[in-house]
Amino acid sequence: MVAAAALEPDAELMLRVKDGDAASFALLLERHRIQVIHFVYRMVLNQAVAEELAQEVFLRVYRARLSYEPTAKFTTWLFRIAMHLALNCLRDGRVERSQESLDLETQDTAARQVPDRRPTVEQNLVGQVKLAEVRRAIEALPAKQRAAVLMHKYQEMEYSQIARVLNCSESAVKSLLFRAYETLRARLAHLA
Amino acid sequence: MECPVQSRDNADLLLAYCARKLDPETAAVLERHMEHCAPCRAFGEAQKAVWTALDTWEAMPVTEDFDRRLHVRIAQEENRGYWSRLVRPWLPLNFRPALSLAAASVVVLVAFLVQSPQSAPQPAEVEIVDAEQVERVLDDLEMLRQVNLVPKVEAPAVQAM
Repeated sequence: MVAAAALEPDAELMLRVKDGDAASFALLLERHRIQVIHFVYRMVLNQAVAEELAQEVFLRVYRARLSYEPTAKFTTWLFRIAMHLALNCLRDGRVERSQESLDLETQDTAARQVPDRRPTVEQNLVGQVKLAEVRRAIEALPAKQRAAVLMHKYQEMEYSQIARVLNCSESAVKSLLFRAYETLRARLAHLA
Repeated sequence: MECPVQSRDNADLLLAYCARKLDPETAAVLERHMEHCAPCRAFGEAQKAVWTALDTWEAMPVTEDFDRRLHVRIAQEENRGYWSRLVRPWLPLNFRPALSLAAASVVVLVAFLVQSPQSAPQPAEVEIVDAEQVERVLDDLEMLRQVNLVPKVEAPAVQAM
């Protein structure tokens, strides 16, 4: 009972999924869907591939439900699967770069749909140039450094959790982040 | 405090400070240090610029039918056979369509070999014929050379006469 009380909510939900509760899986999906898709998207820089990989992540979670044991934080496990799939995808070279311009265009359209803060044409152009620079800078990072930066910046993970996802020591994570931000400072500091 | 830029051990303090993850006491100590340390100040400003630049990168909205597609895949998974469910997790994503294609190719190849078992040894026979032909041609050339040598020796004698 003590162990069950100490469980994090996600792990509890996963244990219910293990017992056959489909609603708990839907809840887990609802909680983490966007984070996983965004992480994978920033890793592979292709929306269609990112969604395909994110589906595979949740499919693997579902498949593994019967053998699930709450030994680590649920999100650590989840992002480990996501990172593994994204790295494999990058290694196999399955990502089409042609999607990049489409993504930028759609994002721009989404920005224009906000009536109160509609940016001018100039602001749009400057924004697009900045965004393209950020994407190129992130894309230029080695895959493991990129994963570390994305988890640190956008998922706001602690060093210890990033270390568990990347399966390395905390000091290795600090070193990865230090080198990655050093590269990003050299490439992006002028955007301030 | 030891300068974070000079000491690699304290470097993550500056990263944490720029990410606003530092506790207020340590942040205050670092700020006092940065007031008189130009390298740390420059580091902090550049890191904040990176942080702001990264903030501009908003991820794409998720397509509406993401959940529906996932549930369809899960339903397909449930209806799949035991063997397929056992093997599938071990296969890489891009290998799965290739596997069925490879299996189909193997079936077609086996069917072809079973139907025409005589066709395989033919190239070996062609090679033997070629070797024999080459030997024969070499023998013929040697014979011609010997025949040609005779008149070359005898010709001057005929002219002298």
